[in-house]
Amino acid sequence: MRIVEVDPTSCVACRNCEYACAFKQTGDFDIKDSNIRVNFYPEERACIPWTCVHCGEGWCMEVCPAGAILRNPETGAVEIDANHCAGCKMCLLACPSGSIHFDKVELVSKKCDLCGGDPACVKFCTSGALQFVEEEEAYSFRRESLDNKLKRLFGLNKRGS
Amino acid sequence: MPERETVQTLCRMCDDRCAINVYLEDGKIVDIDGYKEHPWNRGRLCVKARAAVDMVYHPERLLKPLKRTKRGFEEIPLQQALDEIAERLLAIKDKHGARSISIWKGEAIGFAQEEDMARRFVHALGSPNYFSNDSMCYNGRYFGYRLVEGSWPVPDYENSRCVVIWGANPPHAHPNMTQMIMRARKAGAKLIVVDPRMSAIARQADLHADLKPGTDGALALGLIQQLIETQGYDREFVEHYTVGFTELAEYAKAFSPERVEEQTGVAAAVVRELARTIAAAAPRVAVYVGNGPEHHENGINNIRAVACLDAILGALDREGGNRLVEGFKANHLTLYDEIPLEHLGPIGADRFPVLYGFRQECHTMTGINTILSGEPYPIRAMILTAANPALTNPNTLKVREALGSLDLFVVRDLFMTPTAELADYVLPAASFLERVELHTHAKYQRITMTRKILKFPDVQDEYQFWHDLAHRLGIGEYFPWEDETELTRWILEPTDISLERAAAHPEGIEYTPIRYRKWEKEPFNTPSGKVEFSSQYLKDLGYPALPEYKPPAYLESPDPEYPFVLITGARKLIYYHSRFRNIKRFRTAIPGPEVELHPEDAAALGVADGDSIRITSRIGSVEVPAKIKSAVEILPGTLQMTHGWKEANVNLLTHDDRFDPISGFPLMKAVEVQVENV
Amino acid sequence: MQIVIIGNSAAGLSALSRFRSIDRESPITLISAESGTAYSKVLLPYYLRRKIPYENLFIRRPEDYTQAGIKTEFGVKVKRVDTESHTLTLEDGRTIGFARLLIATGSRPFLPPIEGLAGANVYHLWTLSDTEQLDSLFRPGQRALVIGSGFIALQAAWAAQQRGLKVTVFELLPRIMPTVLDDRAAAVLRQKVEEHGVEVRIGIHTEAVERTRKGLLRVQTKGHPPLDVDLIIVGAGVRPNTELLDGSPVQIDRGIPVDEYMETNVPGIYAAGDVARGPTAFGETHQTHALWPTAVEHGRIAGANMAGRSVPYQGSLNMNVTEMFGITVASMGKFIEDEGLTSHVIDEAGQSRYVKIILREGIPIGAVALGDADDTVILGRLRPWIRNQRSLPDVGGFLEGRYLLPRQVA
Repeated sequence: MRIVEVDPTSCVACRNCEYACAFKQTGDFDIKDSNIRVNFYPEERACIPWTCVHCGEGWCMEVCPAGAILRNPETGAVEIDANHCAGCKMCLLACPSGSIHFDKVELVSKKCDLCGGDPACVKFCTSGALQFVEEEEAYSFRRESLDNKLKRLFGLNKRGS
Repeated sequence: MPERETVQTLCRMCDDRCAINVYLEDGKIVDIDGYKEHPWNRGRLCVKARAAVDMVYHPERLLKPLKRTKRGFEEIPLQQALDEIAERLLAIKDKHGARSISIWKGEAIGFAQEEDMARRFVHALGSPNYFSNDSMCYNGRYFGYRLVEGSWPVPDYENSRCVVIWGANPPHAHPNMTQMIMRARKAGAKLIVVDPRMSAIARQADLHADLKPGTDGALALGLIQQLIETQGYDREFVEHYTVGFTELAEYAKAFSPERVEEQTGVAAAVVRELARTIAAAAPRVAVYVGNGPEHHENGINNIRAVACLDAILGALDREGGNRLVEGFKANHLTLYDEIPLEHLGPIGADRFPVLYGFRQECHTMTGINTILSGEPYPIRAMILTAANPALTNPNTLKVREALGSLDLFVVRDLFMTPTAELADYVLPAASFLERVELHTHAKYQRITMTRKILKFPDVQDEYQFWHDLAHRLGIGEYFPWEDETELTRWILEPTDISLERAAAHPEGIEYTPIRYRKWEKEPFNTPSGKVEFSSQYLKDLGYPALPEYKPPAYLESPDPEYPFVLITGARKLIYYHSRFRNIKRFRTAIPGPEVELHPEDAAALGVADGDSIRITSRIGSVEVPAKIKSAVEILPGTLQMTHGWKEANVNLLTHDDRFDPISGFPLMKAVEVQVENV
Repeated sequence: MQIVIIGNSAAGLSALSRFRSIDRESPITLISAESGTAYSKVLLPYYLRRKIPYENLFIRRPEDYTQAGIKTEFGVKVKRVDTESHTLTLEDGRTIGFARLLIATGSRPFLPPIEGLAGANVYHLWTLSDTEQLDSLFRPGQRALVIGSGFIALQAAWAAQQRGLKVTVFELLPRIMPTVLDDRAAAVLRQKVEEHGVEVRIGIHTEAVERTRKGLLRVQTKGHPPLDVDLIIVGAGVRPNTELLDGSPVQIDRGIPVDEYMETNVPGIYAAGDVARGPTAFGETHQTHALWPTAVEHGRIAGANMAGRSVPYQGSLNMNVTEMFGITVASMGKFIEDEGLTSHVIDEAGQSRYVKIILREGIPIGAVALGDADDTVILGRLRPWIRNQRSLPDVGGFLEGRYLLPRQVA
């Protein structure tokens, strides 16, 4: 399957992806409705886009007590069926990357569904930081510099300190 | 199921000209996305493009001609409007002469050859007075580079080893340039960004030189000094293809890294690092200069100094450097050769001869003064198409007064703007989805024809308007083509591309293959035929021959009453100058104007994020909510406010009498102001 | 290889699907004491308060079982497990042989030893039939007492309140949700509960329940006047369903202790879900959570190991979340402050927002969040830190949205 690969070394936090996704969801540009989020940290000069990677064994999917999270057989996307979501928020707690959010109007969980196989965030990414690529080929760009930047940003080299 | 149809054309929501798929159902546009086959944007788009659907069907869109009456604007039939306008133009021409009639072309509808239609019309009528938005944006860079290199080159990003973005913010202003820059970075290129702010592109910079506004020339000369001192320049290119190197080297000597630091605020060590980085990448150094350096009192010489880097590095017209563009040799509409009118005294041509000499444009701010004073001769009528100077030109109050005092003021636009509100007639204009025209992507040396996808009954495309008016004024012979399609056919006549072929290639057609090192065989388009570090042409006009640096006024003679320096005009992704404020979802994203400031300044003023502050310059005052940036995003003592907001119009603060002496560009990016917490 | 799974809920179903993803051939029999296809216990309160329709309670269709090649025995209890002969005896006398067995029989609600409590008009909110019963009894204006203030008790209270009942909650301990919230958080939630017109009495000891002639329940408490209600809902914890193992060599100790492969002391017999006591993420070897996510994890591990894989369990990390009374309550891991632990707290009383992260030597071990659903997302992101025992030096930064990709760069 293809996933949305995010490259923090190309992202400029222009927010095109968030607007495009929010528009797809609601017709408006409230980035709270977006299923992709870009965090910008000025001090570190880091732009980190993040969205669902449609995990092979999606914990959200397994844990959903309503059986409302299913893999789309065509696109491979892990999707929430809003008609069956009870709004219990178990998936919010289950997702390790914060890729699911709660729609406070519809009272259901929302997440990336890859737009049925043609993700708007990628189409509207003008930096090229988002690419829609085969899962196996994703993140092949990762270089030491990126890893170091992320480690610095996330404090991961401070383990145990 | 309604019939779904897809048409490819180019987006003109900004100047990027991205290829789009337009999806129609039953003849109505329902969606827009990127067209993958065009090399310019490779299927990617910014979110402005999709909003074209909202724009063309916007409930506030002007669809009928309006005439000002005592009761306000009233709809009148199109033919009657044209008849009345023609009649009044003839009367003004009889009374004050043809040169009292002027044209002002703007950017609100995204023109291509429509600019030349306007130029043709006014010349055919016998007036040299063509004004445009270009004398606020673009021309400055064009002049700077043309003076040095003979034309404004395009950066060959993908082949470069070092990309320098100087006073530009492509992610917001030219969104698709961003992917080109990032492709270069992925291939290992370094990215240098020169900008007083940490703009969006600066977030990915390997080196960010956050210089003080208006000190670009000092930094550029400092780099030249370093490159020469460290022998990091292309000796052979300089020797064979340039003039004035010795003088430039001598002049640049004074710009040691320490002096540059003192002028620009960029640390001497960073200056050295910048020089080392570009020298290491030479000649594969691609430099793009944005609008930032233009709006200064020493703007052109600053840009000239940056332009000199291309030649010093040997990057000019080399792969990965800045490539000189070969033009599309088609028919041109302008009549400057057929009907020269320079003797009639184009407005501003005497004071800004380079502006008229290079671009045949009149000086808008002088034009405003002329309307008010009648000196040196009266300007009594203006047809303004798709511009909004009542928001975007400096000194708004004066602009409004002048435009409101014309005997005849006709405005064409998509929406009722603050400028249109001053008009006698407001005519509905055709959007880019309602016109056939030819666009050039200089980077790829391609032309792409756009498609007329929609038609509204009383909305004329630009050609139809000039055609119909010209025929009423007795200059119909200059507009013989039946419609814009026939005109386009004529434009293409001398080329090997037919209208039909152009129409069949929405991905564009390469009109001439890309070549590098053209200087090996062809002279540069300068008076000497070489790259001109030193310009005899400028010297003859009384300007310095070298790209001399002059510190901005706020540094050289600080005014204690106005201790802050205001940058205006940084672009937002979703707004384009004064456009798109009526797209509802854009307002959700960015609800209104704001002024960016440094957290220390905010603390000293006792201002919290979102608090209203009053900004005052020598000519006016505005109140606007504060946007406190992080300490690394803007320099202390510096503010930035984007233009185009009715709610807080920054041009109430900007001066219309402080110019770059060569281009006539107004000072808009280093305005001395004071700030109060309200 | 005959596989038998007893239990048609989270653990059983999760084991089933994991087993089938590895082994498509072995015959599987699924036995459940409840009749009908699987439904979701978590959703029962959502149905009761009419957030979801009845049909959405069901998380499997009949054809889902047949398509997976499963033989089902629904509505029948297992009476006995013979570990020698590897056979089960059903209550109707039939026997079923097994090569590998999963016991996922779940738990049942606990009825506290209060005089007169056992009897008419006293209910739980645990099974589908409990729910259907309550549904038929919920009429506007009726008075209900909820005994207990845990997740389920309060959800029952909310459902009753939403359906127009006049509701009172009794909690024996001095704060509501005593095992989930600290004093401060409990106070925030209590205010929300009371804003919805539900009366909350804490530190209250129920002494006896009497039945009046009018069919009302009169609840006697220490130091308060008696309270008359139409019905009582008891939410005072659960006990594991282990009766089927009585007399078998399978060890029982407040549930069925299992090892890291979810296997009991008898090889080939596995246990998962509420009935099992498995390892936790904190190194405890035998713990009961009686939580849906833990049951799913248990089932996943058990299913894999029953299919011949050797997949150790990294231990369960308790997590729970629900929305009630207009506020989201989420908790995870060890969220009670104790000696040697530090806590990082956001307390925005005006916004009814409360987030607490508990750390041991800089490593997060648990958290509670009350307020907006966005804070639940933060807890979700924190989970890998707890699981992997990773130090989080900048908790404030984390709460602001940093540290997004622990796994990607680990």
